Order: sequence, then C-alpha cells, then structure tokens
Amino acid sequence: MSTIAYPRLRARVGRNRGVVVVIGLLVVLLVFGAFLSDRFRTPTNLLNIVEQSTGLALVSLGQTLTILTGGIDLSVGSMISLLSTLTSGLIAGNAAMILPVAVGVVLLGMVIGGLNGLLVITLRIHPLIVTLGMGAVLQGVVLLYSLGPAGKVPPGFTFVAYGKLFGIPIGAIVVLVLFALVAGFLRYARLGRYIYAVGDDDEGAKLMGLPRARVILFVYAFSGVCCALTALYLVARFGVGQPYTGLNYTLASITPVVVGGTMLTGGKGGVLGTLLGVYLISLLNNVLNFMDVSTHYQLIAQGLIVIAAVSIYVEKKKRI
Amino acid sequence: MVDLVQSKPAAATEPKRSLTSRFSHLALPVFLILLIVISGLVSPAFLSGSNISNMLLQVAPLGIVVIGQAYVIILRGLDLSVSSVMATSAVIATSFSGQNGDVLPILLVAVGIGVATGIVNGLLVTKRSVSPFLATLATMIVLQGFRFAYTQGAPSGNVPPLFRAIGSATWNGIPYNILVLIVLAVVFGLLLARSRFGREVYITGGNPTTARLLGINADRVTIIGYVISGAMAAIAGLVLSGYVGIVDNWVGRGFELDSIVAAVMGGISLSGGRGGIVGGLLGAAVLVVVFNAVLLFGLPVQLQIIIKGVVIVVAAAFYVRRSR
Repeated sequence: MSTIAYPRLRARVGRNRGVVVVIGLLVVLLVFGAFLSDRFRTPTNLLNIVEQSTGLALVSLGQTLTILTGGIDLSVGSMISLLSTLTSGLIAGNAAMILPVAVGVVLLGMVIGGLNGLLVITLRIHPLIVTLGMGAVLQGVVLLYSLGPAGKVPPGFTFVAYGKLFGIPIGAIVVLVLFALVAGFLRYARLGRYIYAVGDDDEGAKLMGLPRARVILFVYAFSGVCCALTALYLVARFGVGQPYTGLNYTLASITPVVVGGTMLTGGKGGVLGTLLGVYLISLLNNVLNFMDVSTHYQLIAQGLIVIAAVSIYVEKKKRI
Repeated sequence: MVDLVQSKPAAATEPKRSLTSRFSHLALPVFLILLIVISGLVSPAFLSGSNISNMLLQVAPLGIVVIGQAYVIILRGLDLSVSSVMATSAVIATSFSGQNGDVLPILLVAVGIGVATGIVNGLLVTKRSVSPFLATLATMIVLQGFRFAYTQGAPSGNVPPLFRAIGSATWNGIPYNILVLIVLAVVFGLLLARSRFGREVYITGGNPTTARLLGINADRVTIIGYVISGAMAAIAGLVLSGYVGIVDNWVGRGFELDSIVAAVMGGISLSGGRGGIVGGLLGAAVLVVVFNAVLLFGLPVQLQIIIKGVVIVVAAAFYVRRSR
C-alpha cells in the first residue's frame, strides 16, 4: 500500500540510494555502539567523533566536486602537507602573523588548485595524471622547505580546532555550514548545475556551449581552498605543521565520496552523501576502538567498505 | 572470426605518416642516450663501472613491476596495489626459517598472494565494473591491513641467502637481478607482442566492444592482465627484499607511482591499446638514470620527487599530442 501511496518518496529514495544506505549503516553502528559501551553513549564521545572528522570532511568536500565533474584530485595530500607546514613555519609563534598567513595560505591553495584545473584544460590529459604529477611536485617542494615540523603557532590558534560554540566544536559547525552552502550551490546556482552537466556528458556539455573550462577551473581551485582549510585545522589541532601531515588524506578523501554514492565516472551524487560517508568512517573507527580492535584491522574494514560501496553502487552497463 | 583476429592489417590501408611520427618512437631511446652522455660529461663518476652496476641493480625491481603494469595499462586499467603486494611478499620472504631450503615455499606463497590480489582486482573491474583506480586502491588497503595485522606492525626475520644473492650480488659487475628482469621481460614481452593472447590484450584495451564482437572473452583477458601484474609485483618484492636485506612493512613504497610514470613515459597510453614492454622498460631506465644523476650531481634529493611529477605530466602531454 505504502509504495503506491508515496510514489514521490519512493522516487526520491531511489535517486538517493547511497544516502539511504549510509544513513541505515550509521543507525546500525550507533545502536551497536550504544549496547557495546556506556562511554560510547556519552555526548562527549559523540562530539568527539564529529570533531575528529573535521579535517576529512573539509578535504572530501572539495574532492566531491572534482569527482562530480568526472575528474579527481590526487594532489590534496601533498597540498595539505605544504600548506600546513607553511602555516606554522610562517606564523612562527607570532600572533600578529596569524591572519595574513591564513589568508595567504587559502589564496595559495586556490592558485595551486587553479593551476591543476588549467593544466587539465590545456594539456587535455586525465586529471589523475595531472594531479598525481602536481602532488609529487608539491611534496618535493615542501620537503625542500622543511624536512621536519616547522615553526609553531601561538596557543590561541588551537581555538580553531578545540574551541566550542554552544558546546559544539567550531570545526564541526564550519563543516556543517560549508556543506550546506555547497549543497545549495550545487542545486540552485547555474555553475553548480554545470558541474553535473560536465560530469554527466563532457562532449554534450561542450556542444551545448557550457563554459566547461570555467567549471573545471572552479572545482580544482575550490578543492585547493578546501585543502587550505584542512591544513589550517590540522595545524590548530597539532600545534605545528609538518611535511607528511597530509600523506594519508589523498586516498582517504576519496573513500567518503565513494561511500556516499558519488560515482567516479562523474555527474551523479552530491555532498550530503559525502558528509554522511565522513561520519560513517569516523563512527566506524570509534566503535572499533571501543571494541579494542587494533588499527590494523580498522584498515581492513575501511578497504572492505570501499569494495562494498563501489560494487553496490555500480550501474549495470549495457553490454553487447 | 579467428582469421579476422590473427590477420595483420593490410599495408595499403596504413595511412601515410609524416617523418616526425615515423621516428617518434625513437624519441625515448635517443633521450635516454643523451641523458647518459650528458650525465657522464657533467660527472665522470656517472659512467664508472660501479655506478652503472648500481643503476642496473636498481632498475631490475622497477622493471619487473613495469612489465605487469604495462599489461594492465594496455587493458585500459592501472594497478595501484603493486606496492602493497611487493611489501607483502617481502614480509613473506622473512616469515620462514631464513634458510635457502625455504625459497620454494616463499616463492609459491608470495606469487600466490600476488595472483589472488590480481584475481580480486580483475573480478571487481570486469564483473562489477568498478573503476580500476578504486578496485586496486581498495585491495591495496585491505592487503596492507592484513600485512600489518600479521606482523603486528613490527616484522622480523631474515631473508634467505639465495634471495640476498639474487637481489644484491653481482657477477663481474652484472647484477643477478637484472637477469631475472631480462628473463621475465623476454617471456612476457613475447607473450604480448607475438602470441594470440597478446593480440587479444591489445584489441580488448583498444576497444572492449570490438573485442567482444570478435568473440574474445574480454573479461577473462582483463583478469589475466591483473593476475600477471600481481605476480610480477610479488616477484619484484622478493627481489627488492634481497636488495634491502632488512624487512619492513613498506618495501616497495612508491613503486605504484614510479611504475605508472615509467609506463606512461614509455608510450603506454592510459587510454589503452597502445605501447609495449620495451617502451615501459626504457621509461624505467630513464627514471633510474635521472634519480641517479640527481644524487651524483649533489642536488637535493627532494628534486627526485619534483622531477618525477613534472616528467609524468610532460610525458602524458607529449603522447596525447602525438596521438591526435
């Protein structure tokens, strides 16, 4: 009965299968965790999960947009390493430098990301190769700048990571606001719609006269900005930037995007799925910690989740 | 049907090629020779016997991985799991008694793991249409997890003396490991260039739909491609473990990127169906020579990474332009 009564709901669920699956998994994990341990249920622990996922959420936000265009950004890890090392290296404990350096780092992220986009457009080679090459170059540059942790930030800067507004971590609030803004942008702004168009059918978008170059440039520049924000957050969290901080983020940033139902082929998905994917991974690691499962097995669990996700979402291709 | 696959393209239908495109396949060998000559002029130590021997020693593990990577890339894929397979087979190499008597079981277990990884990769890519990037990324992570769980983060034990000899010893300056590379390159090079299976690889990579219409089991060909890549990575891991001597969880780290860079530089197109083993090996040689020159010239070692990044983009752009 209900299936007939709510055709629109059914259609919505069908379209957002990824989101629905992830919400289901989140609920299962929450219930499981609640039975598992008293300490899991405390607000402190739940806020912890949200707070710890801030870095991953920020970098995955930018990654989602590049993947929506059918591309990918494999330079995010090195970019985070470079920008975080520069942040603490240039601030060097001087409170007056915080604002100019923060602004400069965000601009630099935008420029490096924009360069990625420019290379993708002009060289016409796959973004995978362009950003892989850029990642290697940036990693070399940051190691030329410093071989270890560089500089430090004034104690007040840790507010970015540990500060709270109405009891909620600031990082988490920033994440929610940014994701909401980008979700609205993807849905209602013209450029946002073009992102889906380019990702769905690049040739078609070109034939229709859509500003493909502008779309590509925008998503990679945006990914660079997201990396800069992640870098600032990580410096605040650890008090210092070092040249390998971002190493794991390159591949880690792709997992929540894929788990959230955004297709690597582009044109399908969205940032809501990514946010839920980030929380799912964070929650899973938290639950596994409570179960005293070593990090080695957490790695296996994460890999298996990726395999499961990519095999569930895949669309049957028509074959001759 | 079979004749269609096996017959060579008629010479008359081949379009006239310009002089530059006719000789463009010589670009890489010429570049390699120039590189060697210039490096030798800048630093005489570069052409010393011991340095050449040293470079050959380093090119072998990379070259072996490139052989497998070549198959996968020609089949429109890429294999990120090679480094994880290498490290795992290095851990296996030290998991037995460390005596020569255990060489065979080590070889079987290591190659078995490589083959199994290849099968999983291939099945995900063909039967579930997972993008090769994600499929091999996921198996890389899972394998890494198993390896860490198995070693509890701190592997121990010894590499059997035979592997030590193959991985690091030389005969009159010629390293034994380069012989392993040559044997594998000849076998799998001929398989790719001269056999029926090799032709099926090129057709499947060039256009899977055409392959299916020609009656080729494209899925099977693709899976075998990933299996070859896994097996090569396992062997390369054993060779490298003999070179490194001590074991850690990260033997072969970075080889996934290096092998892809070498293949692309060698003219193996990421869009599939083009390139060969010889090109890939030349690419690997260029990489090793460049890395070596950076060190010999006393330049900061970080430059190696930067050069790698620039080289892959420039090489990819070069071949895209050529194919247009």
